[in-house]
Amino acid sequence: MARTPEEFRTKQQIDVRVLHEVVGIDPKAGRVRVVDLSANREWWEPYDHLLIATGAVPLRPKVPGADAAGIYGVHTLESGIRLRKILDESRPARAVIVGGGYIGLEMAEAFLLRGMQVSLVEKAPQVMGTLDEDMAVHIAQALTDRGVTLHLNEGLEAFEVRDGRVRAVITSQRSLETDIVLLGMGVVPNTDLAREAHIPLGERGAVRVDRRMATQVEGVWAAGDCAESFHRLTGRPIHVALGTVANRHGRVAGMNMAGGEASFSGVLGTAVTRICSLEIARTGLQTRELEALGRSFVSRTIESHTRAGYFPGSGRIHVKLLADSDTGAVLGAQIVGEEGAAKRIDVMAAAITAGLTAQEVSELDLGYAPPFSPLWDPLIIAARLLAKDAP
Amino acid sequence: MGTSKKVVIIGGDAAGMSAASVAKRKDPNLQVIVFERGPHTSYSA
Repeated sequence: MARTPEEFRTKQQIDVRVLHEVVGIDPKAGRVRVVDLSANREWWEPYDHLLIATGAVPLRPKVPGADAAGIYGVHTLESGIRLRKILDESRPARAVIVGGGYIGLEMAEAFLLRGMQVSLVEKAPQVMGTLDEDMAVHIAQALTDRGVTLHLNEGLEAFEVRDGRVRAVITSQRSLETDIVLLGMGVVPNTDLAREAHIPLGERGAVRVDRRMATQVEGVWAAGDCAESFHRLTGRPIHVALGTVANRHGRVAGMNMAGGEASFSGVLGTAVTRICSLEIARTGLQTRELEALGRSFVSRTIESHTRAGYFPGSGRIHVKLLADSDTGAVLGAQIVGEEGAAKRIDVMAAAITAGLTAQEVSELDLGYAPPFSPLWDPLIIAARLLAKDAP
Repeated sequence: MGTSKKVVIIGGDAAGMSAASVAKRKDPNLQVIVFERGPHTSYSA
């Protein structure tokens, strides 16, 4: 898992200084203002190359009571450790989660495992907005089956506070009494330093970068949740805050800063998660994105099994594929299902990257044995049906 | 090209530490400093 600053220092000769905050960038002089938080010391540190990897910060709702105690976000190792400590010590019985995305769903599982009573408030008509609504209903069903009370189409309006502590979440429809609140409303790029230094920003306020991860200011690079990516299928800038993307950005920036030649290859928006035993995966463009782009497309949704139907542990799987209606090229895939479902998305990420058509995907030579899939893999079944509607 | 250049990285999480590791591997003479305001670095790279 995490490597310690000492390991970086001794094994790789990387001078890591924790509890040191950079408070300003002076790109003209090529230096940054550093504050040693433990020694109250401040100085200018010169650089030849500067990498901005300041991450993202959780969106805080601008509603009454949002500063009350008992409202948490989890976006760093420290914030996760802090929340777990609070759960262990004060044993809250009830939690309200605001936001039905990755963080909200993953935390719903964590709270359920602790035997807590969990409600989830989401202003959209569906959970997991990165999937189409007809796929998200399966996630909503699974959440409900596991005891989560879902409140969709309900915006957060305020927190009711007593003695400085949150007591209830007020939505557009109701008041939900609770012991703690978990915020999962998404993140925004943490780019205050870049903005103050007049380093141009782009998509959703992320630092604008080219494919080498160079900003528009000489000698300054950006990577990770604070930086833009571009979509492989559209070529357009997109902001994706995911650890995988951050690592890929970092490798490219690191290589280029060291005098090498590396180029970021873009994202498809591939992501997987799990809520209890239900696996969720997506890649490529979803219906909402294709409609916004004005693309003509066809889609097919199928239900099948994760393993041979008679095999122990075989579970349900839903697959949705989307393809260009003129060329037949697969543009997107979404999967919701039991164990073994999610990582099938990697086949589709590879297929989309290679520009395969639905017909070509239906002809792929995929592995089969009863513990792993039905005779026809669910992807093959979906692609075959989709190919009937697309060339 | 004998003089060693200096790379400063703001943030010691996934992107920052990946970049630090790759840069140092590519050019061992490079001086790499990472400033992280929190108490931890994260993610192996």
